[in-house]
Amino acid sequence: MLEALKEAAVGSIQSIKQIAIIVIPIMLVMEILKDMGLLDRIADWFSPVVRIFGMRKESAFPLVIGIIIGLSYGAGIIFKAAKENKLSKKDLYLITYFLVAAHAVFEDTAIFAALGVSAVLLLATRLAVAAMFTFLASKVIKETEKEVNL
Amino acid sequence: MALQTGPITLDTLKRGLKSGIDVTWQLAKVMIPIYFIVTLLKHTPILGAIAQVFAPLMGFFGLPGEAALVLVLGNLVNLYAAIGAIVSLSLSLKEIAILAIMLSFCHSLPVETALAKKIGLSAISVIAVRMALAVLSGLAFNILL
Repeated sequence: MLEALKEAAVGSIQSIKQIAIIVIPIMLVMEILKDMGLLDRIADWFSPVVRIFGMRKESAFPLVIGIIIGLSYGAGIIFKAAKENKLSKKDLYLITYFLVAAHAVFEDTAIFAALGVSAVLLLATRLAVAAMFTFLASKVIKETEKEVNL
Repeated sequence: MALQTGPITLDTLKRGLKSGIDVTWQLAKVMIPIYFIVTLLKHTPILGAIAQVFAPLMGFFGLPGEAALVLVLGNLVNLYAAIGAIVSLSLSLKEIAILAIMLSFCHSLPVETALAKKIGLSAISVIAVRMALAVLSGLAFNILL
């Protein structure tokens, strides 16, 4: 019993140290990139890309922010964009489908990478699969455009 | 629309450091109790029993039965809880990679489904999509890795 408690204390603290070493620098770099305005620029680059999903170019901003920062922050921006009437219902649904599959990708990837999993493999698979699914969904929703109740 | 941007100052570094420490703290808060519980379970017959029950199902993904615990914690609580279980169990790198991709697509269902619902998607379709992506990616990683 005492042995198990010791094992848990040492093991859990070691794991947290291992993860903190990776996660803290990554969050620091993200904050610097944010202040440099790089996220806005990435969103701009993605404006033509979201056309592939049949979305308006305004969708790029909430999509990119959600992918990089996270779902709850992304949802806030989605609500704001929806209120300003910049997005159609279909755009909204497609962004949300993409984001439930892939959000906060750097944070999540960093945590798993700290355990030894290849970051490139995880990140590439997650983004590629989310993009493929969103593309498929964009075709399905188009057919029933009047009734967007997925 | 644009995020607030500005010059890189000491404030930027402070905010970055804070968000990194925040993530680590959130992780520690959930991970440490889970680590203790799983480690104690390892010393009882309970973990073995759980492993035996789920071994056939987890076998499809090339995972041992006790990995079911990781998937359940990740989906009902959050990724941090799942990580706590991963590090306290002795899993191989391939097994961790399979769990990582499955959990990447599908985790924290109560909280995240509520968000998607608020935007207007149906809870069932969101959960179904995420579970399908998790299952397919888990099967693929098991075969390809």
